Amino acid sequence: MRRLPVYLLLDTSGSMYGEPIEAVKNGVQVLVSTLRQDPYALETAYLSIITFDSSAQQIVPLTELSTFQQPNIEANGCTALGEALALLAAKVDMEVTKTTAEVKGDWKPLVFIMTDGEPTDDLNKGLAEFKKRKFGMVVACAAGQGANTDTLKKITECVVQLDTADSATIKSFFKWVSASVSAGSMKVEETCKDVGGLSELPPPPPEVNIVV
Amino acid sequence: MKELLEKIFENIYSNGLSEERYCDIKEFISEKLISEYNDYVMNREIVAKNKVNTLDIVLPNAKVGDYYSQLLKIEDEEIIEYWIEGLKKTGLEVVSEIVLDFQKEDNTMVQGSANLEVFDNDNIECQKQVIGTKNKGLVIKGNPIMSGDFDLTLKYKYKGWFDGCNILERKLRFAINPDPRSLWKDIPTDKNIKFYKDDFVSEYVTVLANDKGLQKDIVAASKRGRSHAHEGKARDDDFKLYHNDENGWYIIAVADGAGSAKYSRKGSEIACETSVEYCKQALQMPTELEETILELSKAEEGYSNRSISTLIYNIIGGAAHKAHRAILDVVKANEDQVRDYATTLLLAICKKFDFGWFVASFWVGDGAMCIYDKERQYIKLLGTPDGGEYAGQTRFLTMPEIFTPESIMSRLKYSIEEDFSALILMTDGVSDPFFETDANLNKVEKWNELWENINKEVDLTDDNSESKNQLLNWLDFWSAGNHDDRTIAILY
Repeated sequence: MRRLPVYLLLDTSGSMYGEPIEAVKNGVQVLVSTLRQDPYALETAYLSIITFDSSAQQIVPLTELSTFQQPNIEANGCTALGEALALLAAKVDMEVTKTTAEVKGDWKPLVFIMTDGEPTDDLNKGLAEFKKRKFGMVVACAAGQGANTDTLKKITECVVQLDTADSATIKSFFKWVSASVSAGSMKVEETCKDVGGLSELPPPPPEVNIVV
Repeated sequence: MKELLEKIFENIYSNGLSEERYCDIKEFISEKLISEYNDYVMNREIVAKNKVNTLDIVLPNAKVGDYYSQLLKIEDEEIIEYWIEGLKKTGLEVVSEIVLDFQKEDNTMVQGSANLEVFDNDNIECQKQVIGTKNKGLVIKGNPIMSGDFDLTLKYKYKGWFDGCNILERKLRFAINPDPRSLWKDIPTDKNIKFYKDDFVSEYVTVLANDKGLQKDIVAASKRGRSHAHEGKARDDDFKLYHNDENGWYIIAVADGAGSAKYSRKGSEIACETSVEYCKQALQMPTELEETILELSKAEEGYSNRSISTLIYNIIGGAAHKAHRAILDVVKANEDQVRDYATTLLLAICKKFDFGWFVASFWVGDGAMCIYDKERQYIKLLGTPDGGEYAGQTRFLTMPEIFTPESIMSRLKYSIEEDFSALILMTDGVSDPFFETDANLNKVEKWNELWENINKEVDLTDDNSESKNQLLNWLDFWSAGNHDDRTIAILY
C-alpha cells in the first residue's frame, strides 16, 4: 500500500528549554492520539521525528501510527537546521519507497519544520541536499519572534509564524499539523494525487499566521 | 542510646552539666539526627527513583480486538517488588510470568507477598494485585476492549522498604489503537441527491445449458468504497450485463466514475447503459460479423483481417463513442461541465462458436480486463490500463482525444480462444489491492491469487445465482489504504 510519510523537524536547542519544549512534547502526543482516531490517517500516515540542537538526529524513524511510541525530547545546545535538512534528505532516500514497475511507491512526504531561532550551522549545504528531493509539501514554522522567516523562506514557500512560543500557541500549531495530516491522508486516498500546496490544507488557527 | 549520650557528656562536660543545658543538647541532637535520617530516607528513594526512571520500559501499543501479551520485568537488586495499576478499563489483566527455571525463582518473596491488597483507583474496591519481582516479571495480557491513551502507574518498593515508607511510582503511557475497521462509518447515501444510485448492487445472468453443453454465466457486483460510505457519498462505479438468448452473444460493461468528478456516478451509468444498448442492437443479427469470425478462425495465426477490425471498430468503437455522446447530451441538458461526468469504460462482447470463443473489447481508463485460464495458466490482458507513471493520470471516456481513429484502434482488442476459466472485468477498486501496479497485471501468479481469493468465498458453479450475493460480500475484503468503490464482473 502507498504510505503518506510525515516528517517532523523539531528545534530542540537550548532556547526551547522549559515551557516551549514541554508544549512540543505534548503537541506530538496530541498529534499522534488524534491521528489514531482518524481512519484515513491510521491506515495511511507514517510519522518520523528529527530533532536538531547542536546536531541533528532522527529520534523516531518513519513509523506506522499504530506502533508509534512517544520519544523523550530534551532541549539544549544550538540550532543545526542545515544538518537537519541534510539528515531529512538522507532518511527520505532510505525510508520512502519509490515507484517501480512492480511496486507503487509512497506518496510524496509532508514535512513540518518548527524552529525558534536562526540556524547556527551552514544552512546552504543541507538546503542543497534537501532541494534535490521531492516533497509533497513543506511547512516551516517560526515559533516566536526569534526565528527569521526570511531564512525559512529559503527552505519553502509555506512559512507560518507563531507570535509567541508559549504552550497555548504551540499547542494550536500542532492541532493544525494534525488536521493537515488528516486532510492530506484523505486527499491522497480520494484523488490519488500528492498533496501540493498550503491551499489544500485546512485553514490555520488565528495563532498561526501565514507569512506572505 | 541514653548511656551513650551520658558517656559523651561526661567526657566533654567533665565539670558537670546543668539540667537545662542537658535537655537543650538532647533536643538539638535529636533534631539533627532526625533530619539526617530523613535525608537518608529521601536519598534512598531518589536513588531508587532514578534507577527506575532511567529503565527502558516500553509497552508496545495494543489494538482493540487483537490479543495482547507483554512481559514487564525489572531485573534490579534494588527494586524488590512492583505492580501495575490503571489497566482496569482496558480489558487487560496482569498475571505472573511463568518461570520455567524453578531454581531461579524467588520463592521467599513470591510466597510472602504474591497477593498484596492495594487500593486501585479504577475500582473502588480492594483487589488482588499481582506483584512482580526480580526473577518473576509481570505479563500484561488479554483482549483490549477500548481504544485510547492510558496512563498506567508502575508502583514499586525498593530494597530496605518497610511498612510506613513511601511506595514509589512511575507513569507509563500505554496506547490502544482502535481497529481501523471500526472507525469507518457506513452512512447510506441520501436518496434525494441528483442522480441517486444504490450503494451496492449485484446481478446474475443465467445461461441455461443447451444441446452444446454447459453455457457460461455472468455474475457481477458493485459496492461503494469505505471512503464514500464514511461520508455518505454515492457509489461512482457501475456495470451492465446482457446476454442474447437467441444468438448467444454476451455483452459486459464496467465503468468507474472519477472520484473527483461531481456527477461521475451518472457518467459511469450512462457509459454502461449506452454502450451495452448499442452493442445489443448491433448484435441482433450480426451475420457479417459472425461470417468474418468464422473465416478468421480458419486463418493462420498472425493473419491480420481488415474486415474484422472494421466491424469491431464499428460495433464496439461505435458503442464507446455513442456513450461519449450520450454523456455530452446529459451534460448539456443539465448545463454541467463535461469533467463532472468523467468515467472509465471497460466493454467486452463475446460468443462461443464451434471452434471456441471470440472475444472483443474496448478499454479506456484504469482497472483491468482479462481472459484467464487456470488449467493452462494463461492470461490475456485485453489492453493496457491508462495509468501512466503516476497514479491518477488516467484517461476518461469523456475526453475527446479518446476518439481519434488511432486512439480507438489502440483501445480495441479481439481474440480467439479455445476456452477459458473466466473473462474478468474490474474497476481499480479491485485491481489496485490485488495487482498494485500495471506491470503485475501481466503476471499469471497475481491472477491466480485473485482467482483463488474469489473462489474461497464465491461458489462459481454453473447456474449458481446465489453467487451474486457471495461476490457482493467478497467485495468487502480488507485492504489497508484501499477505500475505492469496487466493481467486478465475471463471465465463467
